[in-house]
Amino acid sequence: MQKNNKNSVIYMKSLGKRYDDEAGVLDALKDVDLQINEGDFVAIMGPSGSGKSTLMNIIGLLDKPTSGVFLLDDVDIATLSPKKLAGLRRDKIGFVFQSFNLLPRLNVSQNVELPMVYARKSKSFRKKKTEEVLRKVGLLDKAKHKSNRMSGGQVQRVAIARALTNDPSLILADEPTGNLDTKTGTEIMNLLKDLNKQGVTIVVVTHNPEIGEYANRIVWVRDGLLHNKRLAQ
Amino acid sequence: MILQNIKMALISIKSAKLRSFLTMLGIIIGVFAVLVMIAVGDGVKSQVSGQVSGLGTNLLTILSGQTSGSTAKNGQQQKTTGGFNFAGSVGASTLTQADVASLDKINHVTEVAPYNLISSAVVYDQLSTNTPYIFGTTANYSSIRDLKYDNGAFFTNQDNASSRKVAIIGADTKQNLFGSTDAIGKQISIKGQLFTIVGVTKKSDTGTGFGPGSDDVVYIPINTANVVTGSNQIFRIQAQVDKPQDIDSAQQAIKDQLKKNHGGQEDFSVLTQKDLLTTFNTILDLLTTFVVAIASISLLVGGIGIMNIMLVTVSERTREIGIRKAIGATSGNILSQFLIEAVILSIAGGLLGLGLSYLAGLVIKKVAGITPIFSVKALILAIGVSLFVGVVFGVAPAVKAARKRPIQALKSL
Repeated sequence: MQKNNKNSVIYMKSLGKRYDDEAGVLDALKDVDLQINEGDFVAIMGPSGSGKSTLMNIIGLLDKPTSGVFLLDDVDIATLSPKKLAGLRRDKIGFVFQSFNLLPRLNVSQNVELPMVYARKSKSFRKKKTEEVLRKVGLLDKAKHKSNRMSGGQVQRVAIARALTNDPSLILADEPTGNLDTKTGTEIMNLLKDLNKQGVTIVVVTHNPEIGEYANRIVWVRDGLLHNKRLAQ
Repeated sequence: MILQNIKMALISIKSAKLRSFLTMLGIIIGVFAVLVMIAVGDGVKSQVSGQVSGLGTNLLTILSGQTSGSTAKNGQQQKTTGGFNFAGSVGASTLTQADVASLDKINHVTEVAPYNLISSAVVYDQLSTNTPYIFGTTANYSSIRDLKYDNGAFFTNQDNASSRKVAIIGADTKQNLFGSTDAIGKQISIKGQLFTIVGVTKKSDTGTGFGPGSDDVVYIPINTANVVTGSNQIFRIQAQVDKPQDIDSAQQAIKDQLKKNHGGQEDFSVLTQKDLLTTFNTILDLLTTFVVAIASISLLVGGIGIMNIMLVTVSERTREIGIRKAIGATSGNILSQFLIEAVILSIAGGLLGLGLSYLAGLVIKKVAGITPIFSVKALILAIGVSLFVGVVFGVAPAVKAARKRPIQALKSL
């Protein structure tokens, strides 16, 4: 796969991840070629054990590949120190997890502010940005609430707001509707779809085909191999 | 960032109040114990030195036994450790009436007064009881110690010679036994004998406290005392020197004379007020150091307590660490967060200990009559030590937290 001229957020070439320990050798990912461009809405799908979690961890800079090339926003991550990786995670990636997303001791706006705190943004900037992203997800009135008093859907909205604060290159969501009922799940997916329409690149990792339907592109992972399937743009 | 970490730490401390308090408890107790001991030690020291300097610089005290400094043995100067021979001051006194008489003739010595201490309760009218220091002494003791009187006067040589049962009481004793009514001419009972009060001394301005100098005292003639107790030992001798600058030569002359009296044996000590103070401070410093050392162990235990709880906290908060790392916290961010939390806990503990020890100081002042002194040094020590403990015992948990890999941390739960 040649790197095309579009602005690629993720570019992977012959990427592999091998676990080599006393239990034996396991190739979680083999020869992965993947390009995700600015503005894409990609669903990474596959059954458990397929390697999709490994792929997500690598995209999220939580894990490093053992072979191949991975460029995030044209930056080769292979040579970066853990500190640099943390900086990239902070600035380029917005995480949304399946559950236990927020820090229960902090209130909503404190949770949303956290990535900006690590980015050493000024207090006034943090305040302004927190309002902005909370308005985007429709939770401005809940800014002072504690996260452990909120519904699952609300928590997920806060997590999305938090993911947006540092204007990331992509939002990486791991089973974002996994703990939600269908109706709330639909709301969350519609929110992500809206954000995508506003230009935010979104990568969703899921095993649920219904979630995949929101994406304009599905990447299937099976036995560590990738199968691309382009849907209607 | 530091400020944010402090804020985070306060939030997590507040969210587990009881546990935070229990974590701090060791430090609270440790700092409390150390500070109280130091403050009481300092308080006693300053009180005693105040009293001793109130006694005047031209007084020599002769007591039985060897107290300190260097002792001539076998013709050699043998250094002792500046310690105090307790046995010498507790055992039977080596001082005699002949010693007292011989000191009178020494150059520069103006007055000599022996005294004994009698242990007995003092009873008035079978109602009020008191246990003051009871001195059996001679008439010139009053002028040596420069005693002042509210009423009456000291007993006379004649009183002593005839072993009359007369007594002079201190201002506090008078207050305790008689309240505001007049005491002169009243009779008090000491060891079953009735004594007539002939004088009441003025309250001294060195405050209440230890040893001679206190206002809770009764003075009776030494001959009478010997009759009452059936003993004629001499506990101590006080000698007054005409001028402060002659005190050293007088001290040496008294030593030589007493050595001659005692057949060449130096089984006594001649101390200036400064020597007394030094001896006292040596003992007190030793005691204070010892007690503070023991109290310091609780600081160590407190530190270990913080470390234990923080290690548990780190395990419990693995998920939190994972989320923080996923949204961009570096290992350094996590390390400083947990370290600052430990330091805040221990400094808060230190400050609470400081506050508690100050309150305890007020209680001690009220109950024991000692005024503990809280110096700036002690305050800095308390905060410094708790900061040190926090850092030392906070490092291990913080490193453990920082080393957690984000994937593993996120998988937990």
